[in-house]
Amino acid sequence: MSIFIFSDTRVIVQGITGGEGKFWTKHMISAGTKVVAGITPGKEGETVEGVPVFHTIRRALSQVQADASVIFVPASFAKDAVFEALDAGLKKVVVLADGIPTQDSLEIRSWALSLGAMVMGGNTSGVATIGESMMGFIPFWLTHVYGKGNVGIMTRSGSLTNEVASHVVRAGYGFTSVIGIGGDPVPCTRFAEVMPLFQEDVHTKALVIVGELGGTMEEEAAELVQKKIFTKPLVAFIAGRTAPPEKKMGHAGAIVTAGKGTVSSKVGALEKAGARVASRPSQVGELLKESLRGNGDG
Amino acid sequence: MKLYEYQTKELFQQVGIPTPKGKVIGSATELESVKIDFPLPWVIKSQVRKGGRGKAGLIQFASTEEEARNVVQRLFNHPEKISKLLLEERLDIKKEMYLSIIIDPETASPLIMACTEGGMEIEEIAKLFPEKIIRERVDISRGLGNFQARNVMYSLGLQGKQIANGAQVLMQLYRLFRSCDADLAEINPWVITGPETVVAADAKMNIDDNALFRQKRFVKSRDQFDDDLEFEAFQAGLHYIRFDGDIGVMSAGAGLTMTILDLIHHFGGRPANFLEFGGAAYGRAAKAMDIALKNPKVKVILITTFGLIARADVIAQGIAQAITELKPKIPIVAAVRGTGEEEAFKILEGLGLEPMRYTEEAVKKAVAIAAGRAS
Repeated sequence: MSIFIFSDTRVIVQGITGGEGKFWTKHMISAGTKVVAGITPGKEGETVEGVPVFHTIRRALSQVQADASVIFVPASFAKDAVFEALDAGLKKVVVLADGIPTQDSLEIRSWALSLGAMVMGGNTSGVATIGESMMGFIPFWLTHVYGKGNVGIMTRSGSLTNEVASHVVRAGYGFTSVIGIGGDPVPCTRFAEVMPLFQEDVHTKALVIVGELGGTMEEEAAELVQKKIFTKPLVAFIAGRTAPPEKKMGHAGAIVTAGKGTVSSKVGALEKAGARVASRPSQVGELLKESLRGNGDG
Repeated sequence: MKLYEYQTKELFQQVGIPTPKGKVIGSATELESVKIDFPLPWVIKSQVRKGGRGKAGLIQFASTEEEARNVVQRLFNHPEKISKLLLEERLDIKKEMYLSIIIDPETASPLIMACTEGGMEIEEIAKLFPEKIIRERVDISRGLGNFQARNVMYSLGLQGKQIANGAQVLMQLYRLFRSCDADLAEINPWVITGPETVVAADAKMNIDDNALFRQKRFVKSRDQFDDDLEFEAFQAGLHYIRFDGDIGVMSAGAGLTMTILDLIHHFGGRPANFLEFGGAAYGRAAKAMDIALKNPKVKVILITTFGLIARADVIAQGIAQAITELKPKIPIVAAVRGTGEEEAFKILEGLGLEPMRYTEEAVKKAVAIAAGRAS
């Protein structure tokens, strides 16, 4: 078990014929993902890794059935691609592009919420259920980074997740599902919306949050713990303790204005709620041990 | 990208948001040649991107032409490197208010903020008059309703014709906010000058950098950056911020790069920069190193990547290319991991570099080198 994607989730790849689309379709299939169709306008009739390509999702759905879509198109086309997937009735969408205009993300989120769909991204490395399925570009084959186990992980960052995940594995644990909600200032799905899924999943014994400065998502996560909506052990690492204020550090999300969204406010909220916060990635494994021991699962 | 006041006011004029009469000049001699069709006294406002211009002496008044010439002369010679001045009629201000639209990350919506107190920074207003701030959330798929705009104006206590005029301003401001892909549109102060008139005395708009591909009228030029290297990096599709330490940071992914800065501080070192070449820029390790090396304070280059789509082997090839071309004279510490890492380790070994397998070990080593404890 796991969350969001499973071994039987039927996945469409939008932008399958591009360089990254092709490269990662191969890896998604070897991760166990059931890729049923690829979409690139003008390329219908071709195949990529044995997957049939269609001009549009509507045309694909006349031939195959699908539940989810992973989108490899550039940021400038991302909103249109997400709307195409949502209009076709797909309820799970992962949009990988880095650099989606913020107002596009607002529109995507608003539209997805009204349809009861969940969109992960943009600016994410994707989602994976280890040993079952992967949508995006998570190097699941690096078993010293992404071993299978009973810890869930959700994150606003890609490379940093690899770093943190490798320390979780070094400490002897592995993962159920990896959920990248993305590094944009306004992601299409928020931490607090993913946590109930991890709460329900019987195989997830603990959760790791990889956060960063900016926004209020870590504070919202703390609130779920405080209110006992999320009751499993929670360990967080939050990047940006020493970032100067008013400077954008790559992710537009990671900017502190008017004293809101600082790392110290996030750490404070999480610790007050009873979560453990690592001050360095290498401490995450140790804190996870402590939490699981405290929970009688050590 | 931050627009200058005069640029924002040009946009306002195009959509009918009242602004003071004004004229932009680019030099002291231009003051002699341009025709100014509004009478003295004038407000002379330096066009710089940062706030607090009044306190910094960058906004001056002139009640005679003689005075205006002196002020213009002085401001163009200011160390702040001012390239444009906005000359405006001096308004008869009855009351200063605040009006803005931002993107609220918490509700993922445009958010209108208004206040009967204006003329200071919103942070200050929020501190002094938190109960006076009027907030109106906009559902982005529905757009701003006229009734919402009217509600804001009634809450501000506007009277008579000011209400319809003010609501019209807010509707147009929202249209501009949407059509320009702004992440901030602010009128502060928004001033009442008569029984019917509300005028945008100052105007600020920030455009979402991610939308510049479809906002062709806004071009990010050198004056949008604090530093030559930051501009050079931007042109190469990289993100660079200069600090005053001595460890040259090269990393992929903003979250990891921020963590590296945190770790450098934790182990007692000082980063020379933030430099991120992740995502679509992962093939540009060579250019990234070129930029990192241009800061003469740098004593060691610390490369830490843990890529997903940013493949380690491609990054290692970029490092190899950079070393061949740039022949750096300072030590390089590299932990290049993630997708394709075994291949990357071989490439680094071929360069005579020790491929580090743990990020924190690499950071510690770079800190030791910068401190002269290792080489």
